Amino acid sequence: MAGSAVARESLSVLRETIARIEGRPASVLAAADTVSLPALRPQSKAGDNANGNLLSLGLPEFDDPLGGGLPLDGLSEIRSGELRDAGAASGFMLALGVCILARKLGSGRLLWIGETIAGMEAGLPHAAGLADYGLDPAGLLYAAPRRPEDALWLAEAALASGAFAAVILEVRGNPQRFGLTESRRLSLKARSVGRPLLLLRQAGVEEASSALFRFHLRPAPAAARHLPDGSMLGGSIGNPVFHLTLEKSRLPAFSDIFLEWSAHDRQFFLANPHALPATGRSADPGAHFSASSDGPDRAAPMGSVVAFSRAS
Amino acid sequence: MRLTALDEAAEAIGLKPGQGVAEARAICPALDVIAADEVADRQFLEAIADWCDRYTPLVAFDGVDGIFLDITGCAHLFGGEKALLDDVLKRLFHLGLDARGAVSSAPGLSWAAARFGASGVIIADDALGVASPLPVAALRLPEETVLALQKVGLKQVGDLLAAPRAPLARRFGTLVLLRLDQMLGREDEPVSPRRPVADISVERRLAEPVQGEEDLLHLTRQLATTLKSQLEARDQGGRRFELMLFRVDGRVFRIVAGTSMPVRDPVRIGALFCERFAAVHDDLDAGFGFEILRLNVLQAEAYAAVQADFSGAGPVDTSLAAFIDQAVARFGPDCLAQPSLKESHVPERASLLLPAAAARSDEVVPAAPFRAARPIRLLKTPEPVEAMAEVPEGAPMSFRWRRCFHRVRRAEGPERLAAEWWNDGEEAPTRDYFRIEDEAGRRYWLFREGLYEREPRLPRWFMHGVFA
Repeated sequence: MAGSAVARESLSVLRETIARIEGRPASVLAAADTVSLPALRPQSKAGDNANGNLLSLGLPEFDDPLGGGLPLDGLSEIRSGELRDAGAASGFMLALGVCILARKLGSGRLLWIGETIAGMEAGLPHAAGLADYGLDPAGLLYAAPRRPEDALWLAEAALASGAFAAVILEVRGNPQRFGLTESRRLSLKARSVGRPLLLLRQAGVEEASSALFRFHLRPAPAAARHLPDGSMLGGSIGNPVFHLTLEKSRLPAFSDIFLEWSAHDRQFFLANPHALPATGRSADPGAHFSASSDGPDRAAPMGSVVAFSRAS
Repeated sequence: MRLTALDEAAEAIGLKPGQGVAEARAICPALDVIAADEVADRQFLEAIADWCDRYTPLVAFDGVDGIFLDITGCAHLFGGEKALLDDVLKRLFHLGLDARGAVSSAPGLSWAAARFGASGVIIADDALGVASPLPVAALRLPEETVLALQKVGLKQVGDLLAAPRAPLARRFGTLVLLRLDQMLGREDEPVSPRRPVADISVERRLAEPVQGEEDLLHLTRQLATTLKSQLEARDQGGRRFELMLFRVDGRVFRIVAGTSMPVRDPVRIGALFCERFAAVHDDLDAGFGFEILRLNVLQAEAYAAVQADFSGAGPVDTSLAAFIDQAVARFGPDCLAQPSLKESHVPERASLLLPAAAARSDEVVPAAPFRAARPIRLLKTPEPVEAMAEVPEGAPMSFRWRRCFHRVRRAEGPERLAAEWWNDGEEAPTRDYFRIEDEAGRRYWLFREGLYEREPRLPRWFMHGVFA
């Protein structure tokens, strides 16, 4: 069987060469192999540092199709279909940022570069909300440059400086100034310095870019709040849930996945989209108070109404 | 209309400042009269003062048509006082200006000599001899005092010097004696420079003017290298730098760059100006080139030198500060912001986007009391929505925001936030915030402004933020 072993070796060398040319990490190759051998699939764990340049969420359903996790040395794109989904898209991006911050890269800060128009339409980051969401506001820098060229310059300079754990670039729609050339340039920059660049495309359509992965993100009904006894509080809005579709990938990929972000644990969980919580009013509405106005106990008007006969 | 200034030809005819234009025209019908423009004159004088910065940092204005240069300790750089004065006058002549100047140990005497005597250098021992023949008008006195002095026959400074001091002061005021003493250097007269003197400044004079941005940057780095040793000697690092570029035709450009922490590394200072050059690109017209470059440290702070250890990597990572400086130099101080918590329960005041350099302060914000969740993105101004809600204080059932209809599936609330009466006044309406989720799973933060029946205006609904 020596011949087949030699053949296999030369085959794997060829594969590695191709992977290098394509710019894929070798681990992706390994993962591609394991797809056909599910028994040998490595069990990934959250915060697994064995592979330094992959962000594993600790969920095999998410990590394995990406070859072990989201690459931390390249461009990944997240796209929302409409601007009114901006909350979910930004939320997912920031949650990824929180996961990346746990890796303690650079100065341990995120840089969020948002187009001015996106900030005007979808709102500016709110410190109290970020703190509730699991992100220390001191760990985020927000830039709203006036022109798209400035945004690209900032993104490139921030990546080159190596000061940030991750750079988030938010664009609205599919601007002409940010096409394949620009994304290629940023992607190469990100790869050369080994830091992630997350592209957040609000209200954009699919477009050829040099991102390693592109997700389409849609909002999904939130999980209900947990009660101390383990049951769910009906009608309450708990942890946010995101509906992810992997649109671009070099590997066989999942079609749809629902992820729930727990700000308290700072971790993603798999959500079950079919077990959506009950709608309507809360099961336990709490103490019932009467309405503050238009109640039955209004003070009677003073005096009494007396009918006078007409004067003339 | 009166004449304010005359050229040599007009003076030769016999016209005088203060004469009426009609009278002057009667004397010389071909007179060319141009309306005075004080603002432009001032700008021109400022430009000349900028140009004079090449000789000394202490340049002061003198009225509308003069400039004082305090050349104490600078003259030797130009080959002595005489050579300096000649250089100033020669260069101004080549710039097309008719200038007169004098160097002496007292500003008053220089002023008098430049305007009423011969230009040149007056050594201190000669002061009396030079001052005596000057007219009393050379004493910078009010016009009526000059007239009064002339009336009694005191026409020259020498006459005043010979007269007894006490009766002079009694009759013409103490200003006469003060000016006299200032002229002779008996009384000190401060000259107030128009700009503060930089803590440290280094400069480079070029034999051949340079135009290229690359050359300028290279020279700036060289200047910064010279600066480094001076900063090290003071245990300081610069926070604000100013690069002065003297163009050959007399124009002066000042480019200021700030940093977020004290810096003395020439490479970082060079990088700062690299960004500034890119930012001011169109305003910086090199023309025929720059002949002098000067780098000033406008603001210096204590610089804590940190020793690197043997493990190689420095203990302090300065990449973030370097990036902030780079971005600020290019786009201005507000380009990088940090969301910061503030002590307020009104959502738009609870979070501010502070400039990254300013947000470094270790301000401790006390933990907020228990409150409901806040959105991750807050709209700059709440946007009105058409909502259908239970009256008086129920959650909305459906609403229309930006022409899109949303049906509410779940709602949490209300969270009632009263206005800050100490800021907004007592009439400001109360808000009831609801966290709602629509059918597609989008989560929003809506509020109703005002309460039914209890507050004067009819309640309205607003969208204020989006949740993840």
